[in-house]
Amino acid sequence: MIIRWICEKCSKKWIYPIEKCIYCKGPVTKQKGTQMKVIGFTKVTIPSPTHPIIPYNILLLQDEFGNRLPKKTMKDYKIGDVYTEKKSESDDAVAIIKVKYDIFEAIKDALGLLKDVKFDSEEKILIKPSIIAAAYPYQAVNVNPDMLDALIAVLFEYGIKKENVIVAEQALIGSSAADAASKSGALEVCKKRGVAFADISKGPFEKVECDGYEFSIYKEALHRKIINVPIMKTNFQLGISGALENLTRLVDEKTQRDMYYKGLGNILPKLVKALPDVFTIADATNGMQGLGPLASGEPAFLNLIFAGRNAAALDSIFCEISMIKIPPYVKAAGSGINPKKIEVVGNEIDALKNPIKPANPEETPHSDIKVVDYGACPACLNLMYNLTSKMIGLRGSELYVLIGSQFDGKVLEGGERIVAIGDCAIKKMEELKINTIAKIPENLDMVEQIVLMKKLLTTEGTPKITSVDKVKSKMTKLLSRAVR
Amino acid sequence: MFVKGVGMTKFGFQEESSRNTIYESVMEALNDAKMSMREIDAVVVSSIEIMSNGERQKHSASMISSLLQIKAPILDVPAGCAGGGTALWTAIKLLKNSSHKNILVIGFDKIVATTTKIITEEILRGGERIYEQAEGMIFPAQNALVAQQYMLKYGATSDDFALVAYKNHQNAFLNPKARFYRKKITMEEIKNSTVVASPLRLFDCSISCNGASSLILSKEPSDIEIIGSAEISDCLSPFEREEMTSLEATKKAAELAYKEADVTPSQIDIAEIHDAFTPLEIISYEDLGFCSPGEGKELIRNGTTKIDGKLPVNTSGGLKAKGHPISPTGIAQVYEIVKQMRGQAGARQIKTPRIGLAHNLGGAGSVATVHILKNLN
Repeated sequence: MIIRWICEKCSKKWIYPIEKCIYCKGPVTKQKGTQMKVIGFTKVTIPSPTHPIIPYNILLLQDEFGNRLPKKTMKDYKIGDVYTEKKSESDDAVAIIKVKYDIFEAIKDALGLLKDVKFDSEEKILIKPSIIAAAYPYQAVNVNPDMLDALIAVLFEYGIKKENVIVAEQALIGSSAADAASKSGALEVCKKRGVAFADISKGPFEKVECDGYEFSIYKEALHRKIINVPIMKTNFQLGISGALENLTRLVDEKTQRDMYYKGLGNILPKLVKALPDVFTIADATNGMQGLGPLASGEPAFLNLIFAGRNAAALDSIFCEISMIKIPPYVKAAGSGINPKKIEVVGNEIDALKNPIKPANPEETPHSDIKVVDYGACPACLNLMYNLTSKMIGLRGSELYVLIGSQFDGKVLEGGERIVAIGDCAIKKMEELKINTIAKIPENLDMVEQIVLMKKLLTTEGTPKITSVDKVKSKMTKLLSRAVR
Repeated sequence: MFVKGVGMTKFGFQEESSRNTIYESVMEALNDAKMSMREIDAVVVSSIEIMSNGERQKHSASMISSLLQIKAPILDVPAGCAGGGTALWTAIKLLKNSSHKNILVIGFDKIVATTTKIITEEILRGGERIYEQAEGMIFPAQNALVAQQYMLKYGATSDDFALVAYKNHQNAFLNPKARFYRKKITMEEIKNSTVVASPLRLFDCSISCNGASSLILSKEPSDIEIIGSAEISDCLSPFEREEMTSLEATKKAAELAYKEADVTPSQIDIAEIHDAFTPLEIISYEDLGFCSPGEGKELIRNGTTKIDGKLPVNTSGGLKAKGHPISPTGIAQVYEIVKQMRGQAGARQIKTPRIGLAHNLGGAGSVATVHILKNLN
């Protein structure tokens, strides 16, 4: 489809959405061309960092109104060929749409290209965006509020009633859902559209058993159609966080911790099975690269949206086009799916390939601190991230922070300057009867955690926390409270 | 407004810093004008401030202040490949409307300092973000689509484009400041060069270079007068325009410049045309009024625009073979016309021209400047 925004009064034309004509102040409406013909093409043989696969073709398409549009494709066309977008035939298909300044139309395009996508006007919908921490939209930590807004508008266009839609999410364990929803802009969208926002962490939850594992799943999710709206990001712990990872926050805190403890690759396939009706519309309007999933990652400016019924297939395709390895947990959840055989509509994989910066699994926000992750839960991950972020500006000797619990006694062999952070690692060390390294527990006040971490980072040799350090940290906490 | 002096570095792959190339070109312009920096009242500079070279220097105006030790108004007017022409146009407007007597105009860029892939990406950023950059519309591709539309409409062929390349390489062979100076390029090499973006081959594309160019513009009369000057911006992408086979920006700028100069296209004795891609030279013959739409190919086929033709075009070698360091290009075009008017063009000297025209483009016709110069001797 080719869209132009045209002034109804003076016929001035824009390639962007414009609210009102700047000349005659007349209203502007969309002109949508759907009958596209190839009027020109060029085969490009020079690679560039964002278009590394060559040769590729750029078609010059023209619609019934004479509007033109360039379109990249790996296929060969002739002048005069009719250009059409093929609809999907398989249930696992993934639609990928480039957003041409209009997320609303991009979502509609994606839904239109997938087989049998229907919404019943009486249907109850749960939109599950990815909103994990308090961050501004430009940081690409959370779903783009414009994406959320456009999606709700599309649902309304399908006839869904606003009272039948809820937006539900919980932030990473240790973060406030209200703060995250507010700073991300999601709350404002909900207010504007008149739909409710629910904090999943407050429940209620329902026990659901699937393949021998018992989940506590958010009750509303079991009785509504779930529209899974992740933001596609790199993740230093998981490789990527996308459609599958977003589903993990539909369960209670205890289940989340246990899923990570037992390995996402083992439990996620069961969760996907346990959830009744999930459709994913993923936000890569911005997307994240580098040290994601939190604010140390960088916006990737991908300008894409993905849609599909199979979350694992969608995540796999995201990895393919981003030219990063498909993480083991995605492979496990999509058992049997060969990414090369997933049906993709809207755009071709090779034409979209654009390498983004992967996340380095050892990196933390502080250059002197490395992370050794043994399957940390979101709470430990969040604590580690917040704590190491607070160390920025301090110089110290190289320090390793140990998080997660899937390790044995050998983890400390040959290692010096290791600090265990979070309850997963500390609990496991207690089980293994290891008392030789410094520990920072989750339930300690943040001020105390920071004081102890500073001491460990800036002390030479084997880092230790003494009774004096503990007293100092408590005094600092009291002092900071008094000042506050 | 009068041209007192001109200067430019050789266009090439030199490793020198921009500070050195700017210094060299300014020194040449000052010497040419027999002036000192003390007589300069203001500076207009243009650079795309490329971020992929080792210099990573933004804030060009103040950098120029440090380099030339001048405390005066310094304006930075980037306009892509039309930066030089736009800087000159700005300087003319400024001079006309101020008490300044002399304005120094500078264009500089250092493009060739990293891999071709990265340079390609940086230049790709000049295209429209969503419709072009995301579709891999590198500059040769953008111009290839325009060229194809032109070929379909008017029956031009790749051989016509090859003739443009061959002519400009022959001219550059004679120009010591050109990247391809004394480098013989045969028609076979041009026609058999790699296809970059069909139908354009490598030799249809101008060569990216490093360099700087300078010009001293004055209210005080000299031997060369700028009698017409115009700048027009058009929308960013060719696909957005009503017509893809001619550039509205060039047509409008030419119309304004001819009107101001009170000359007609038939009075032009020499032209430096923005041949970033060979089809652009042919299309510009038409847009500048040297022939009717669709007839541009005839001018190259019948030799009108050769160095010994009725209307010599790109005697310097053009962007094609002299080189295209982006922002210096527009001023370097004026440099060539001034040298030709003064009889200082050496082996490529044509019969002393009286009226000359410099045509500078940014993007695929997103910005156009036209300057008309008169030889007062």
